[in-house]
Amino acid sequence: MKPNQPSINKNESSQLKGFVLKTVLLIVIVFLLDFTIGTTLKYFYFKQESGFLYRTTYAIEKTKADVLIFGSSRASRQYNPNIFKDRIHLSCYNVGHDGNFILYQYAVLSAILKRYHPKLIVLDIARGDFAIRQNDYERLSALLPYYSGHSEIRPIVQLKSPYEKIKTLSFIYPYNSLLFSIAVGNAEFNKQKMKDIDGYVPIDKIWTGSMATADSLPNYPMDSIKINTYQSFINDCLSNNIKLVIICSPYLFKTTNADNTINLAKAMAVKNNIPFHDFSTDTSFVNKHQLFADSIHLNNGGANILSNKVIDKILPF
Amino acid sequence: MLFNSFQFIIFFSIVTSVYFLLPYQKRWILLLLSSCYFYMSFVPVYILILGCTIGVDYFSGIAIENAKTGQRKWFLLLSLVANIGVLSVFKYHNFINQNFTGILNCFHVSNPIPYLSILLPIGLSFHTFQAMSYTIEVYRGNQKAEKHFGIFALYVLFYPQLVAGPIERPQNLLHQFREKFEFDLDRIGEGLKMMLWGFVKKIVIADRLAIYVNTAFNHTGQHTGATFLLATIFFSFQIYCDFSAYSDIAIGTAKVMGFKLMVNFKRPYFAQTMAEFWKRWHISLSTWFKDYLYIPLGGNRLSATRLYMNLMVVFLLSGLWHGANWTYIIWGALNGAYLVIEMLTKKIHLPFLRIQLPQKLVRFFKILLVFVLSSFAWIFFRANTVSDAFDIIKKIASFKGPLFYENPSMLIYSFAGIFLLLLVEMKQEFYTGSFSFMHNKSWVVRNFSYAVLIIILLVMGVFDGGQFIYFQF
Repeated sequence: MKPNQPSINKNESSQLKGFVLKTVLLIVIVFLLDFTIGTTLKYFYFKQESGFLYRTTYAIEKTKADVLIFGSSRASRQYNPNIFKDRIHLSCYNVGHDGNFILYQYAVLSAILKRYHPKLIVLDIARGDFAIRQNDYERLSALLPYYSGHSEIRPIVQLKSPYEKIKTLSFIYPYNSLLFSIAVGNAEFNKQKMKDIDGYVPIDKIWTGSMATADSLPNYPMDSIKINTYQSFINDCLSNNIKLVIICSPYLFKTTNADNTINLAKAMAVKNNIPFHDFSTDTSFVNKHQLFADSIHLNNGGANILSNKVIDKILPF
Repeated sequence: MLFNSFQFIIFFSIVTSVYFLLPYQKRWILLLLSSCYFYMSFVPVYILILGCTIGVDYFSGIAIENAKTGQRKWFLLLSLVANIGVLSVFKYHNFINQNFTGILNCFHVSNPIPYLSILLPIGLSFHTFQAMSYTIEVYRGNQKAEKHFGIFALYVLFYPQLVAGPIERPQNLLHQFREKFEFDLDRIGEGLKMMLWGFVKKIVIADRLAIYVNTAFNHTGQHTGATFLLATIFFSFQIYCDFSAYSDIAIGTAKVMGFKLMVNFKRPYFAQTMAEFWKRWHISLSTWFKDYLYIPLGGNRLSATRLYMNLMVVFLLSGLWHGANWTYIIWGALNGAYLVIEMLTKKIHLPFLRIQLPQKLVRFFKILLVFVLSSFAWIFFRANTVSDAFDIIKKIASFKGPLFYENPSMLIYSFAGIFLLLLVEMKQEFYTGSFSFMHNKSWVVRNFSYAVLIIILLVMGVFDGGQFIYFQF
């Protein structure tokens, strides 16, 4: 063989053709299975009428409440919409989502603003929300089922990785790891069990763990994408004449220093003339273990007290 | 660049396509450049460290071959010092210094040696051991010194096995870089199948189990004995799937291009003795230690006491090879002790143990015992500190408190993954000649089974999973 002769000869070339043909067939089988299973998962995902996944669908596609509460589990577990309804006389829905922070909340806000403009938004900001955490981007998977139908959330989902556009070509991928949750969400027994109060999921538990004397908060670098998204959240509310109130809800333990995220979130709110109320050091909550389910979540009793205190700050509205 | 990433799929597709289009004499250039790019995608500057050791080993190899008998060992020593020196600085300096500080503190003396604030180059222990095997084999006369610097650099840098093995030997790998590998569809198909199964093991099983394992082991104070028992069992499967998946993808990637890398795992959890376990687990490292440490120490040719001591030395060093932490050293010591005890008890025949049990039942209990023993040792391997490991063992022994799970699907996906693994491996171990999906004569069945594996990846895979555990070594 001559040194520079190409490596693939005629025999290999015919093999290559066979290989390509079989690969194409494999792609066709994968596509058919992906389409069938993905479409089935989609149907049952959006057929749910209660539960954790349904609350996201309701927030993005259905709610028309006048008052919306945004945040992580520290929103969904700590703000009772019934109290808001009774005292402000406006409809209210809690769109808080466990384990998701400002990026998720801004995507949901963008989807909601495409449909209507609520009158009041309460945004719960937690310590460390602006910290650099890869996890927070990975948790944007919760928005994948809405990726194809909601162009406004796509830029946020694409923050997960540069390959989300390619991955979402799959029909199954948006429902990855959701098979069991979708099955449970569609089960009859679950519909009653997973009932929430307009998005509010109370915790009926009292903290029985040890009582720390004081937590020391670490000094951490902050994520500019999250900070910019927080500013966009404020800007969108201002430009759409929506009253925005930002809250840092209570923690069980005292801290020896202030949190970077809370300091910055407060400064940015003040700069934009947005009311910011910090309950993290409120003596009505600190060290009151009977009001907490764990060190960062109020129980139902604590949540009702917080809801009333927040409304006290908002009124007259 | 992780194997379980989109970047790698693109990288692999481009490199492999260009590889087959090039004349075979030029392929080493492509492989060398792409291997450099692959390594530099982690921390670019560390290629310089690798470049230095490659240079030292290249010249040492030639010098060993050309030197007179008496001088040869000095060039070998130079190579070993350079390789172990790099390992010591990057991997062990801070660990040794920390322990030294502890000793000095006992005498109220402060340690003047500073700690180094450096990242461990990825896969350092793997390519260092592979490079050392070259100079040792040249010294022993089993391998001719490689005169072509590019080919030698490729031997150390070959991207499929660069960061997590298998740790190759020069006799097996070096000559392959000069061979012409034809475009063989069957071989390519086999390679791709290995890669696909590797992806399933990593993305569907290991990364799923990692969620539970990390939750438990990273919050030792917050979990119960039941949780730690399950997390330990999960970790045994996680580390196996994680590491063997890397080997499968590495061997598969190389196979597609025509290279034969050594088998690194042979279903270790079906071993019936600890000695057999180590013949099935991380074979390339076990044989490295056997060839270059255990046998030179005397192996089993000396007294029984010396044999037991040699085993302990090998396993303590194997533990240290894995990481600069006492947890790894204890893990190594435990495995060494298992082997010594196994050898000692082999000769003991207790009459009451001579109960006639069905062979299958005996085999099952032996396999179970090996699994329990290796899982117990894995507690030290996974725990963040030695005290964490002892806390976990205490909790498992007390077995108090409820089992933690965030939601039922967390456990369902984990068990489904383990079930899939056991199903495949039991078939490979016990029913080799029976019906096969992936190797079926009908291409329809074969294609359908590949498609099903891809669908399992999409439905159950953890796409945000982290890097391979063994990268840190």
